[in-house]
Amino acid sequence: MAPALVLVLGVLAYPVGWEVWVSLTDFSTRLDGPPSFVGLANYLALGREPEFWHALTVTVAYFVLTTGLKLAIGTAMAVALAGPFRGRALVFLAVFLPWAYPGSVTVIAWFWMLNPPLLTSYAVAMGGVKHAFDGLFGTGAWAFLSVALFNVWRGASFTAVFLLAGLNALPTELFDYARLETRNAWQRFLAVTLPLLRPYLALAVFLSFTTAFADLANVWMLTGGRIVFPVLGTQAYWLGIRNGQFAEAAARSLSLVPLLVLALVVLFRWFDPPRERAA
Amino acid sequence: MAQVVMKDLNKKYDEVHAVKDVNLHVRDKEFIVLVGPSGCGKSTTLRMVAGLEEITAGEIAIGDRVVNDLPPKDRDIAMVFQNYALYPHMTVYDNMAFGLKMRKFPKAEILKRVQDAAEILGIQELLKRKPRQLSGGQRQRVAVGRAIVRHPQVFLFDEPLSNLDAKLRVQMRVELKRLHDRLETTAIYVTHDQVEAMTLGDRVVVMKDGWVQQVGEPLELYGRPSNRFVAGFIGSPAMNFVDVGISEANGAVWIETQGLRLKAAADRTDRLRPYKGQKVTLGIRPEDIRLASGSDTPDRTFESVVEVVEPLGSEILLDMKIASAQMVARVEPTVRVKVHEPIKMAINTDRLHFFDLKSEAAI
Repeated sequence: MAPALVLVLGVLAYPVGWEVWVSLTDFSTRLDGPPSFVGLANYLALGREPEFWHALTVTVAYFVLTTGLKLAIGTAMAVALAGPFRGRALVFLAVFLPWAYPGSVTVIAWFWMLNPPLLTSYAVAMGGVKHAFDGLFGTGAWAFLSVALFNVWRGASFTAVFLLAGLNALPTELFDYARLETRNAWQRFLAVTLPLLRPYLALAVFLSFTTAFADLANVWMLTGGRIVFPVLGTQAYWLGIRNGQFAEAAARSLSLVPLLVLALVVLFRWFDPPRERAA
Repeated sequence: MAQVVMKDLNKKYDEVHAVKDVNLHVRDKEFIVLVGPSGCGKSTTLRMVAGLEEITAGEIAIGDRVVNDLPPKDRDIAMVFQNYALYPHMTVYDNMAFGLKMRKFPKAEILKRVQDAAEILGIQELLKRKPRQLSGGQRQRVAVGRAIVRHPQVFLFDEPLSNLDAKLRVQMRVELKRLHDRLETTAIYVTHDQVEAMTLGDRVVVMKDGWVQQVGEPLELYGRPSNRFVAGFIGSPAMNFVDVGISEANGAVWIETQGLRLKAAADRTDRLRPYKGQKVTLGIRPEDIRLASGSDTPDRTFESVVEVVEPLGSEILLDMKIASAQMVARVEPTVRVKVHEPIKMAINTDRLHFFDLKSEAAI
């Protein structure tokens, strides 16, 4: 067998295949004896469960919000960092730090900032903000915002560095020509920079997509594992690892597959082949 | 249609003084070529005209407007880049229309201009393609077309042919020249290739280390180089140089070095006399060295040994040693010589060049 085939079968096909199989059974640590085949029962149950739809909605909203912000902030930072200026290296370092620094440490700062465990006037004020926010948008809204902010804070810097690498890989003549022909920087950004960055943006969206849907770490670290607001990833984890309900957990996480495939198709069309860049 | 005037133009980066006191008057409809080795400041000069580089000191005027503080888009110039700078995500049509679209030209006008330019360049069939589907020559044509549609006052070319293979380069060179005859637009063209410079330029500006070395018509540069650098840069194979002593005897000025003793032509004696007893650099074009015949007097011949023969078809290049210098002679294709055997060569002493040893200026 070709090495690539071994890799695909071992790393991708086997675990996915196993998960698909598990999702079609009643496999659970709570049952005695071997799991029995139940067909699509787990999926049908999922469809009837309002909690699932809620979690799906939250997950999609989480994805849209964080991705939008990460792209906007990341692109702005990348463009700002593209030109030479004094102290560029320092700024570059500062931009890269949130992503490079261990999340488990930085999350403490966020936790203290948003939900201070000490009794200070700041803590009281933040508590007030939290209650007001939750009162306005529903319980869990503040937690949702916290996790989203943390994700954006960490992810935007990564997106920026990623897009900056993309910008630097493009021939400078393309931007020189744009300077000769466009009326202002904004027009140049819309007509030239953004389209040229398209493949990199598509990849950034895809990376953001996967973190949003599989983002357990950020949610877990900020909420301490409590399901303050449901995201499919945490739900599946909770069910599978904590409760031993493997079959339901598998069905839940596999329910994301159609979404992922759709996103991949759209993004790869958008990505267009790198061949296009040969000129 | 416009002239371009550069006055005491300077460009300084933190450490590097890239362009030094350039004064240049590009006449209306003229095709002027800036040529020189890399780092000579030619591209920086062009980019200052375009507005892509800020001017450190001095002044540039296009037409009758000083453009120092004008943004590039308002300078009424169009530039063609070495790597074509075509947008990969746009079709050829959109690439050519880009500048006009950004300037909010009416659609019908854009269509007409693009089609006209495409016709001139013979790329009508390519308008719907993407740049990646084009050959290097076709991309170059699109890049030129993109400049033509703008109907600018001045064309700026930054080494536009450097990425093409040799054959295509020669072909595009001719096309560019034809195009210029047709459009009659002032053009400033930057290249490191002296052949391109000589064939394209109405006038050629030779630059080195940020300084203009000489400005002149191609044959003027070739025939009367103002210094040793220009003499060596223009012409291929390059001019031969050898350091010689100057002496006077029997009413004539003599040029001497080991294995070589030539009588200076009468019209050079006055200029050489002040160098009596000193050394100067002698420059000899390869075509001014030939096989000696019986009628050649000893005061214009020398003995040598041919080390390498390069038969080019239309001519033969002979690499030979004289004194401690290596020399190249360009001789008729019918000449047959044997390597490593003594041979007698003659020099066309009417066409020798002399340069001051220190200042390198032509004597």
